[in-house]
Amino acid sequence: MTTDRETETGGTDSEHDGSAGGLPSDRTASNPNYDGAFDAVVVGAGLAGSAAAVTMAREGLDVLVIERGASPGAKNVFGGVLYTPTIRELVDLDDAPLERYVAEKRFGVLSTEDETAVSLRPGEWHAEPHNDSYTVLRGDFDEWFAEQAVDAGATLVTETTVTGLLRDDDGTVVGVETDRPDGELRAPMVVLAEGGNSLVSEGADLKGRPDRGDVAVAVKEVLEFPDSDDAIADRFRLSDDAGASYHYFGEGAVGDAFGGAFIYTNDDTVSVGLAYRIEDAVTGQPDPERTLDRFKSHPAVAPLVRGGRTIEYAAKTIPEGGADAIPELVHDGAVVVGDAAGLVLNNGVHLEGTNMAVESGYHAGRTVASALADDRTDAAALRAYPESLNESFVVQNLEHYEWLMETVREDRDLLFRDLPRAVADAGEEYFRIDRQPKALHAENAKTRLLRTVGGWRGAAKLAWRYRKVIS
Amino acid sequence: MSTHPKTPDVDNATLEDRLYTVKYEDPGDSHLDVKVPGFCAERCDTDDCVDVCPADVWRKEEGDDVPTIAYENCLECGSCRFACPYNNVEWEYPENGSGVTYRYG
Repeated sequence: MTTDRETETGGTDSEHDGSAGGLPSDRTASNPNYDGAFDAVVVGAGLAGSAAAVTMAREGLDVLVIERGASPGAKNVFGGVLYTPTIRELVDLDDAPLERYVAEKRFGVLSTEDETAVSLRPGEWHAEPHNDSYTVLRGDFDEWFAEQAVDAGATLVTETTVTGLLRDDDGTVVGVETDRPDGELRAPMVVLAEGGNSLVSEGADLKGRPDRGDVAVAVKEVLEFPDSDDAIADRFRLSDDAGASYHYFGEGAVGDAFGGAFIYTNDDTVSVGLAYRIEDAVTGQPDPERTLDRFKSHPAVAPLVRGGRTIEYAAKTIPEGGADAIPELVHDGAVVVGDAAGLVLNNGVHLEGTNMAVESGYHAGRTVASALADDRTDAAALRAYPESLNESFVVQNLEHYEWLMETVREDRDLLFRDLPRAVADAGEEYFRIDRQPKALHAENAKTRLLRTVGGWRGAAKLAWRYRKVIS
Repeated sequence: MSTHPKTPDVDNATLEDRLYTVKYEDPGDSHLDVKVPGFCAERCDTDDCVDVCPADVWRKEEGDDVPTIAYENCLECGSCRFACPYNNVEWEYPENGSGVTYRYG
């Protein structure tokens, strides 16, 4: 078993020569002949890659994880909540760099001036394991999770970019090309965990370039509050390690676009950002940065973020094509996991991806170990990976909500613009204080809502159309 | 009286200041390019790469045939690559750990 302790402990500033301690001395930085030294190469040390690496290393495989960033997580961005049921099975989370557990979920619909929100603070969420929902920062968490893979026996090299795949005469993937000198590296299996901007998988024709209607562009800021130590606890009504996850929809969040915005509380920072379809970003909607400015200045949002100093600005693309957009996951000698496989659920209520990444990495890792035990790397021997993924929550959830995206797209103006306005107006009317009887206000509020949805018949149709959101 | 007399001011950082929060190591050459300049010059009149970019990497001034690329601003999201209707964006990962490094992510 070979472990690269230098890389593990080297941090972001030290030099990495790509050599792995413990390998035979003929393998040097200028001649890194690792061919055949590893059973599997994992491309990318994000959550999917490290989950696969932990799983395979525990199964006794020699695993090499190649990360293009200076450290795991250095190139990674996400909204901010990690769901941990599977991670908790794989590693001990006690020492993990978790920020806060999610004690409140808030869903707010924003018109340009108004907010109408539903907030949930179940008492149960204060008890461990806190509904397996924690805010994290990927720079910390991914580095820690990759260390768990190294502790399990995997080798990690950073600052190394995989530029392509090696194939034999039959087309079977037999290794990777990297940007290191003589950087070809042969191994029986390659796990592609390179994220949503998956150049290697696309370049090797393992998947096509996703349609821009299936990809969202996201921007995020991490804010700190230099003038107020208690800003986060006070503004979000939090104590101890409790945290909040706020989600926003409607034109006050992302304008005319199809998407949403968010605020998540970290330990002593707040993550604020938004995501919307690239298809919309290229039409009328202002660019992502301007849209973020506008969201932060919304009357319902500004009090939460005012005085915040931006300590990081980040951007990412999110594959949101759902079950129909999942590419072929197994190939001769290779499997695709995580964002690269399009495993992201965004139905407006559940915004999940990292748990799907971990789950896919886990199933892929188990399948690779099992196939290699039989001396096989062909796609047929790897079918257990997509099959187990199909039976898991990952594909079941994606398929359950597959209908939603298309339906929401058809109803976009109603759901994101007209209805939020009507709900805010109806609320204003319903609670209006004057010298009129309450019954009159209630009637007016009802009329306002019904007019927007097309009467009782329209309301019934709408309820029927969206019944599966909560079923 | 305005509807929201007391909405607090939010001082949004400029893009320059925002980009300054991110550690960046220059790979020396651009990891971004256009595949066929002729597509931009002759076919494209929507400049979707410019509209989508969260970091102002893609820029087109009046009269430019092809966008200029400030690759040093790039946050490596890849949105330009998906946005281009002609699949005309050449995108490579920056080499050897160069490019952007996020501290928080």
